[in-house]
Amino acid sequence: MSGMNRKQLVAAAAVLLLVPTLSWGAGFALFEHGNKAMAMGGAFTAVANDPSAVYWNAAGLAFQSDKGIQFMAGATFIDASQDFTGESPYPGAGYTASQKSQIFFPPHAYLVYPINDTMTLGVGVLTPFGLGTWWEENFAGRFISKRVDLKLYDFTPTLAIKVSNDVAVAVGIDYTIGQIDLTKGIGVINPYTQRLADVGQVHMFTDGASNTAFGWNASIFAKLGSGFSAGVMYRSQIDMDLDGYGSFTQYPTGYADFDAALGAMVPFGQKTPLKTKIKFPDYLSVGLAWQNAKWTVSGQVGFMGWSSFQNLPINFTEHPELSTTVEEGYKDTTQYRLGVEYRVNPTWSLRAGALHDETPQPAASMSPLLGDGTRKGYSAGVGWTNGKISVDVGDLYLVFDKRSTGGMSFDGYEGTYDTSANLFGVTFGVRF
Amino acid sequence: MKRTLFICTLAVLLVGLSAGAQSADFSRYVALGDSLTAGFSSGGLVQTFQQGSYPALLAHQAGTPDFEQPLVSEPGIPVLLTLQALLPNPVIMAPDVAPGSPINAEYPAPYNNLGVPGANLYDLIHTTGNIMNLLAGNQDNVMHDLILRDGQHTALEQAIGLQPTFVTMWIGNNDILGAAVYGTPVEGVTMTPVADFQSMYQTALGALATNTSADIVVVTLPDVAAIPFVTTVKPYITLPDGSHVPLIGSNGPLPEDAYVTLNGAALIAQGYGLPPGIPGANGEPLPEDMQVVNGVPVPGVVLRQEEISIIRDRTAAFNNIIRDTAAAMGAKVFDINDLFGSIVRGDFGVLGGITLNADFLTGGIFSYDGVHPQAVGYGLVAMSLIDFINQTYGTSIPQVNMFQILCPGGDCAGPAETQATHAVFSAQAAEQVQRIFAPRLANAPMARRATGAHRAVRSDHVLKVQKGAHRVQ
Repeated sequence: MSGMNRKQLVAAAAVLLLVPTLSWGAGFALFEHGNKAMAMGGAFTAVANDPSAVYWNAAGLAFQSDKGIQFMAGATFIDASQDFTGESPYPGAGYTASQKSQIFFPPHAYLVYPINDTMTLGVGVLTPFGLGTWWEENFAGRFISKRVDLKLYDFTPTLAIKVSNDVAVAVGIDYTIGQIDLTKGIGVINPYTQRLADVGQVHMFTDGASNTAFGWNASIFAKLGSGFSAGVMYRSQIDMDLDGYGSFTQYPTGYADFDAALGAMVPFGQKTPLKTKIKFPDYLSVGLAWQNAKWTVSGQVGFMGWSSFQNLPINFTEHPELSTTVEEGYKDTTQYRLGVEYRVNPTWSLRAGALHDETPQPAASMSPLLGDGTRKGYSAGVGWTNGKISVDVGDLYLVFDKRSTGGMSFDGYEGTYDTSANLFGVTFGVRF
Repeated sequence: MKRTLFICTLAVLLVGLSAGAQSADFSRYVALGDSLTAGFSSGGLVQTFQQGSYPALLAHQAGTPDFEQPLVSEPGIPVLLTLQALLPNPVIMAPDVAPGSPINAEYPAPYNNLGVPGANLYDLIHTTGNIMNLLAGNQDNVMHDLILRDGQHTALEQAIGLQPTFVTMWIGNNDILGAAVYGTPVEGVTMTPVADFQSMYQTALGALATNTSADIVVVTLPDVAAIPFVTTVKPYITLPDGSHVPLIGSNGPLPEDAYVTLNGAALIAQGYGLPPGIPGANGEPLPEDMQVVNGVPVPGVVLRQEEISIIRDRTAAFNNIIRDTAAAMGAKVFDINDLFGSIVRGDFGVLGGITLNADFLTGGIFSYDGVHPQAVGYGLVAMSLIDFINQTYGTSIPQVNMFQILCPGGDCAGPAETQATHAVFSAQAAEQVQRIFAPRLANAPMARRATGAHRAVRSDHVLKVQKGAHRVQ
């Protein structure tokens, strides 16, 4: 990115917002909705002083009315890698597989419009959940998942109201669009060879923007005096029913009657309707910050209600015999975020942060679909502004606990997942 | 303070050492048993499956040097059954080719894998075999000849002769399996009387416990009424409207809870048992009970619930004897029914997203004979046994690699030639399975022992090395 000039960056960001995007996250929540906040480790609930407050604490918008109408947009480029080392009995010690290299770029865009001195309207478009995994061809876990893309787009209008000079509250609606695209192989024991055979694959996907659900959010921001501020933000659970299709493809084995027998059981060559349901977790974030003319220091604790995600049912309405339920059994989690900003001068700011985010995923449900681990993150960034235009650049490096299924895999696919990710983002802001 | 630290460190080290140390010795491992121990699959013994027998897998994982087996070249002894066609009805038969031959017959010591297909508890203790008898073309005692070879020593004696450090013994399956394969529990013929089983089991295990210093694991007997050989063929015909018309047995129409064995499939294909009005019915019922025609046992092919109960009760009685005897003699008991039960109930689950169950042909676990596992099934037995040994002895034997078994070499997509269509589980296949589990009609298993004449032609070489290898008790 460093080779690009500013014009190219602006153009790239504009294009990204239009392109359907993939995203990647562990535990499939994404917290990268503004690169100032990301550079501060996401410790932004008690800071909330740019338009990304729409996500982190919309009540903070009420104290931004002096900035006029604001537009802010950007993207975060996620470059993740994951290596899998097998354990016995399947796929066995010494087996290794890697994910294909992919770069995801969940976008974000905000418009903040002060209605009057006390009320401010904010609108955001962001991707609070996303998952993308894509494994190398013919890897041993292909009968669980070859490739998955899951994303939840959130269109969120919110109204912030100053209830006193020091306290503001906000409520908002989350209108979300969910998309899921999952491909896995079909493996059975070929009765002729008595060994495993790839007899086909199923591609399960939802169409366009047809699957939607509502959620809500509410927040409080308070200035406590002596430079201290506090914030509490809550975003509700989102229960989404998704309609889509399963498209089955047969791979001939060379045994005509075996292929025919399978063809009698599986609707190969057809697109058959499917239904699924995902309960995206709620999120409570509580933060405390202190600032003076030069410094901001912010700390935050978050709680995610991941226990909402107990399973992923995949029901083929016209072929119930092919329906499955992927066991997930997630647990509620806690996360900790710390951030600091140093304002060198009115134009330049330097930022850094750190985070610790527990994995909600039990070892038993780690799989090629998603093999998560508790993450530690270290971030840094730079902000520039001339008063009208701002550019925030941030980088977040995530290290995941190397984690084994420990012989408990629901899929009978045992091994250790070793993951790391680098997130680099740019966000542009304009005041009118 | 320093001293305390030292003691603590020492304690930690000692705990660490004892946790890491193996408390079972696999340097000389011997497996006793029957076809399940031999790695018998699809009606025959052949090296590709023998190399995947559960004792071979355990030995490999535990690092046993030179675990020797009575390997047989392709296409096996007897020639292995193959699947000739799947639709419209599966055709299983052995190709009409010459059988394989022993390829490890000159190994100058008893084999580590002394599992003898067809052997029951009596055979383990009393039956010998002579390789020269087999090589002379005699088919009267094939498996004992192939595996025990020296014409003198039984499997039990050969095992003791090896002075093993570790022994597994999975014997007794053939003391009850005949009742299922022949569709008829007959005391003393297709199943061993309980009192006989008890005294013989005490003799066998007692001999091992007394004459070796090995750690001994004995294995219980699975429910033979739950194998695909018994459970696959339905006792009724399903009409196009979904209703059931019972097949006719020699004792009348079959109730829905009766089982027809795979041996019956060939007969049904010929019109036996089909109710009047069903196309192809030949008016003859399915023979329910074993009959002896000219001294040759002809199997019954129906197991009614009363018979199933008898088989299950007898299996349970044998398993109690196995447990009690093991407890008295310090052997550990590996209960195969934890694994087998989950497989036959269909809740074994998945490996890498691949469903495995006990379904005949499509379940991935059992072989074409409907009785014995194929490589995947033997792999699961080994896996389960290794878990048991690790838990029981505190060892950390690495698990078998099931991916290599499901998908040897990582290549599992390979198509091969398409096959022709004939009949169902062929009469020939049925016969092959029957032969393996031939009941003891005269109740005289000794009749199958090598004769003096056969012994006379054995090679001096084999004799000499065999003698040298035995430390006769």
